Amino acid sequence: MEKEFIGKLKEVLEIEDHEVNMSDEFRTYDEWSSLAYLSVIAMLDEDYEIQMEEADFKKLRTVADLYNATLEK
Amino acid sequence: MNPFSLAGKHIVISGASSGIGRQCAISCAAMGAKLSLLGRNLERLNQTLNSLEGAGHRLYQIDLSIDQDVKTAVEKIVADNGRIHGLLNVAGVSTTLPLKSVSEKKMDEFFRANVFSAYSLAREVCRMGHFSQNGGSIVFFSSVMGSFGETGKSLYAMTKGALQSGARSLACELAPKQIRVNTISPGAIITPINEHLAHISDSVKRKELEDMHLLGLGKTEDVANACIYLLSDASRWVTGINLFVDGGYSVK
Repeated sequence: MEKEFIGKLKEVLEIEDHEVNMSDEFRTYDEWSSLAYLSVIAMLDEDYEIQMEEADFKKLRTVADLYNATLEK
Repeated sequence: MNPFSLAGKHIVISGASSGIGRQCAISCAAMGAKLSLLGRNLERLNQTLNSLEGAGHRLYQIDLSIDQDVKTAVEKIVADNGRIHGLLNVAGVSTTLPLKSVSEKKMDEFFRANVFSAYSLAREVCRMGHFSQNGGSIVFFSSVMGSFGETGKSLYAMTKGALQSGARSLACELAPKQIRVNTISPGAIITPINEHLAHISDSVKRKELEDMHLLGLGKTEDVANACIYLLSDASRWVTGINLFVDGGYSVK
């Protein structure tokens, strides 16, 4: 499950040349941008049926935070 | 080095089994491109393939209206032929229908064939790992009908206008990846398909159509040459435009 999530995250953020770990703060990635944010929101909605408010998303810092959000559903 | 050369470029062409798409394939191959040709009819795709200069071209039989098939086909194309440097979205359908005959089913059919398919193909081609990391060029086929009006062309025009609008914003979105996005708007072109249809074969109707174009009716080569420009490095500073290739239709 974790591995699948990381795969999806790499795809939406278009991360080709580095690893993604659960402890990473995803906003520090070079690939992070306003468009990347929208892509992640769309991925959470499409793949996990999670509609997240911006205020709630702002509280998430790490890849693990994102992943845990998908488990709470 | 010829700035219009396509040598070393892998170009994907949809609608390559006939008409303008076939000519684009022939012209791009003559300029040195390696081609992946998409179309519904394998026999006619093979006819295109047999008309091409150069080596390494491949063809893929596909119904572009099936999203999953587009995804699978693009993955196979990249696995077979390497990353993509250019995409020509030629596949599409045309019609002349009055308002009262444009049913929801027709709208669905035309938007699927002309807009959704091209957009899906562009999305899969731009997916991570598929496009060249040095960027490249995507061309959507609009029409003068995407910018101007004619009786009975509302449905066709809506789909062609949608492509222009979408392409402009895609040009903004994909510029950071050095992927240029433009549309071509042909005027009336004589193709093997339409030369037998009433508006071309009937001499009075043909004259009317010719009179709308300052330089007369176009040939498929005229459009293919414009595609070579938009795919090649000659247009490296050109993105977000709609290029009229219309013999002067739009100037009047």
